[in-house]
Amino acid sequence: MTHPQPALFGRRTLLKGAAGLGLAGLLGAATACGGDGSGGGSSSKTLKMLYFGEQSAATELQNRLQPAITKLDPTIKFEIAAINGTDWNDFLAKVLTQVAAGTPPDIISVATEGLQLMAQKELAVPLDDYVTKDMADLKESYFADVHPALVESMMYEGHLWELPDSFNAGNMFYNTGLFEKAGVDAPAEGWTIDDFENAASKVANIKGINGFGWVVRLWGSWTSFMYANNANLLEEGKYDGGDWLWNSAYAGDPAAAGRKGGWKWGAPTANSPGTVEALDYMIQLNKKGLSPKPDVGGGGTLQGLFASNRLGMAIGGGFWAGGLTNAGMKKGSFDVQLFPKWQSQRHLFGAGGYAIFKSSQKKDLAWETLKQLVKPETFDIVFPGNVTTPGRKSLMTAERYAKTGPKNWSVFYDTLTKHPDTMPIPAPPYYNAMATALNQRTTQAMSSGDAKAALDGLQSDLEKAAS
Amino acid sequence: MSTVTGAATVTAKAAASPPRRRQHPTKQGEGRFGFMMIGLAVLFVAVFTAIPIVASFLLSFSSWDVISPPEFVGLKNYQELLADGPVLKSFGVTIGMALAIVVLQLLVGLVLAVLVNQRKMIWLRTIFRTAFYLPLLASTAAVSIFMGYLFDYQFGVVNYYLGLVGIPAVPWLNSPFGAATTIVLITVWQQAGFTFVLFVAALMAVPTDVLEASQIDGASSLSSLLRIKIPLISPTILFAAVVAMINAMQLFDQPYIMTKGGPGTATTTVTIAMYQKGFQNLEFGYGSAIAIGLLVIILAITGLQFLAARKVVFYQ
Repeated sequence: MTHPQPALFGRRTLLKGAAGLGLAGLLGAATACGGDGSGGGSSSKTLKMLYFGEQSAATELQNRLQPAITKLDPTIKFEIAAINGTDWNDFLAKVLTQVAAGTPPDIISVATEGLQLMAQKELAVPLDDYVTKDMADLKESYFADVHPALVESMMYEGHLWELPDSFNAGNMFYNTGLFEKAGVDAPAEGWTIDDFENAASKVANIKGINGFGWVVRLWGSWTSFMYANNANLLEEGKYDGGDWLWNSAYAGDPAAAGRKGGWKWGAPTANSPGTVEALDYMIQLNKKGLSPKPDVGGGGTLQGLFASNRLGMAIGGGFWAGGLTNAGMKKGSFDVQLFPKWQSQRHLFGAGGYAIFKSSQKKDLAWETLKQLVKPETFDIVFPGNVTTPGRKSLMTAERYAKTGPKNWSVFYDTLTKHPDTMPIPAPPYYNAMATALNQRTTQAMSSGDAKAALDGLQSDLEKAAS
Repeated sequence: MSTVTGAATVTAKAAASPPRRRQHPTKQGEGRFGFMMIGLAVLFVAVFTAIPIVASFLLSFSSWDVISPPEFVGLKNYQELLADGPVLKSFGVTIGMALAIVVLQLLVGLVLAVLVNQRKMIWLRTIFRTAFYLPLLASTAAVSIFMGYLFDYQFGVVNYYLGLVGIPAVPWLNSPFGAATTIVLITVWQQAGFTFVLFVAALMAVPTDVLEASQIDGASSLSSLLRIKIPLISPTILFAAVVAMINAMQLFDQPYIMTKGGPGTATTTVTIAMYQKGFQNLEFGYGSAIAIGLLVIILAITGLQFLAARKVVFYQ
C-alpha cells in the first residue's frame, strides 16, 4: 500500500496562485491592449521608424541617416524596422498590431492606401505647422520638384499628413519580344482600348502565351480599366481647404489649379454601369482566352509570368522597371506605355511618403528626419534599383533607367504632368474592409462570370463598411 | 523525578498523536520539482490559452479598433454575427470542409495503416511510416505556397501534365468547388500522417490471440478488419476524429495562402473571416465574437462526437 505524499502546497493555495496568475495576466493583457495609441512612442533614446520593405534596405537607410540625426541630437539612435507583407493591407494590419502592443513608432512610411485611415484615427499629426514654418526652404528644395497631385493625395480634410517621396501610376508594360513575334507595333501614346485588345489577341495567338495578365487588388487591377472608363468604386470629391499650402508652395503653378484639401471619397458606386462594364470587360478578356484568371495579392506571380515571357502585357508602374530587372529581364526586352484610352485616358496612382506618429515624444526631431528622408540623395538608399517611381521630377532621368530600362521611362512622370485627370486610388478610412471586399467580389465575378451580381454584392459590402 | 515526568509526558503526547513521518529529502525535492513542472504547464496554459479565451470573451462585448479605447456594446456583436450572411456562410464552409477533411483523413490514415501493418518486414514498415508522416513535419505555409504553384490554373505543373495527355486545364483554385476540393485534398495529404501513425500503433496493439482465433474460425481478412480490428482500435479512432475535427475547424493557412478565401467567399473559413474582421477591418470586438462562436461550435461538435462514441466505441 502506498501512502499519499504530504502536500507541499494546499489545494486552496494552488487555486489562489492560479487565480492570481490569471488576474496578473489579464491586467497585463489589458494594459497592453487598452492603449489608445496616444501614449508610449519609442524610448527616449531612440527614434523609431516603421517601413514597408526589406530590412536590409531599412538598415542601410538607418546607417546612412544616423550621422545627420546625431548632428541634430547626439543622444538619439535612429532605428528603422522593416515590415514585410504581401500588400499595404498586410502592412497596416501589422502596424496596428504594434500600436496595440504599446510600441508605436515615431515615423511611419505610409502609402495612399493607409493615409486616410491614419489621419481619421489621428494616429499621425498634420504637418501643416512644420511645413509653414519651413516653407521658405521647402518651397524650392522640395515642393518645386514634387508634382502637386502627389502632395494633394497626402492631404485629408485640408491638412497635409505626409511628405510624399514616391508614387506608382498604372501604366501598361509590354513584352517587346512577344510583340515583335506577334507582329504587333509598339503602342503609341494615344492608343485605345481597341488597340489594346487587338494587340492582346495577336500575342495570345502564340502558343502558351496570354495577351494580358492582371492581379486582384485595388491598385493597377481591373480598377485601371474602371478609371479609364470614367467610373469608380466611390463617389469622387475633394475636401475644402489646403489654400495655406497651394497659395504658398505652388503659387502660380498651373498644375496646382483646382487642388484642394485632399480626396473625399463619398458614397459607394461599385455597381454603377461604368464599373460593371469595366469588370465585365475583364471577364470577356478571360472568356476570349486573352487573359488568365487572376491571382489575389501583391503581384509577384504576375511579374514572374511577365518576366518568363508568358504574358504580352500587364499593368505596372515605375516599380516594375526594377522588379522585372531583378526577375531576370534584360533592358530592351520590355517597355512601357500610357494606359490605353477608353472613355478617357485617366490613370490611377498610389503614392508613398512619411508621417509623424501622434504619440511620438520627439516630433520636432521626427520632422527634421522627415526632411532628410525626402531629400533627393536619400531616395536611392530607400529604394535601390528602381523599385518605385521617384516623387521628385529631378530624379527622373535617362541615367536612372540606363541599366534597367524601360526605354519609354518618361511615361511614368508624364502620367502626372500630361494627364491632369490622373488621380489616386480610392482609399477611404475604411480601406482595409474595402480591399477585403474588393478581392472577394472580384474573384467571385471571375469565377461566376457575372460582374453585375458580384458588384451588387460589393456595393452592399461597401455601404456596410462606410456606415 | 521531574525529568522522568517530563519524559513520560512527551512519550504520552507522542503516543496520542499520529506519528509524523519525516519526508525523505529526495522525495521532497521530487515533489517540489513536480509542482514546479505543473506550475509551468499551468502558467503556459493560463498565458497562452485561458487568458486569451477570457480576454477574447470580454472583448466580444466591446467595440475596439485597436486605436481608440474599447467601448462596451453589450450583445451587439453577437446580434450582428447572427445577421451577417457572409460570416454565417463561413461557418457553413468551415463545417463542410472540416467534415470532408476528417472523414478522408480517417479513411486514408486507416487504409494506409492497415496496409503497412500487413507488411512483415520491419524495415519496410519503418520506411512507409516515415514517408507518410513526413508531410506533417513540413510547414503548412510552405506547403500551401508550393501547392498554390502546383495547382495554378495557368502555369501549374498539374495542369501541364494533364495537358500532355490531352486533358484540358482544371480550375483547381479558380472555381468555388475546385478550390474547396483542392484545399481539402491538400490538407488531407498533409494531415493523414497523424492519423496513420496513431492507427499503426493501435493496430500493432491488437492482441494476436484474438486475431488467431478469428483465423481459426475462418474469418476473412476483411471480416477480421471490420469485426475485430476496427472495434478494438475504436478508442483511437475516436481520439483521432476529435483531434482532427478540432484542427480542421480552425483551417486557416491553406485557404488564406492559396485562395485568400476565394473565389468569392467559397473558401473563406471562420478563421479567415475572423482575421479579416479583426485584423484587417479593425473590428476586434466583432472578430472576438466570431472566435467565441467558433469555440462554441467546436465544443458542441466535440460533445456530439463523444455522445456518438458511447454507442460505437468499444473499450476493452
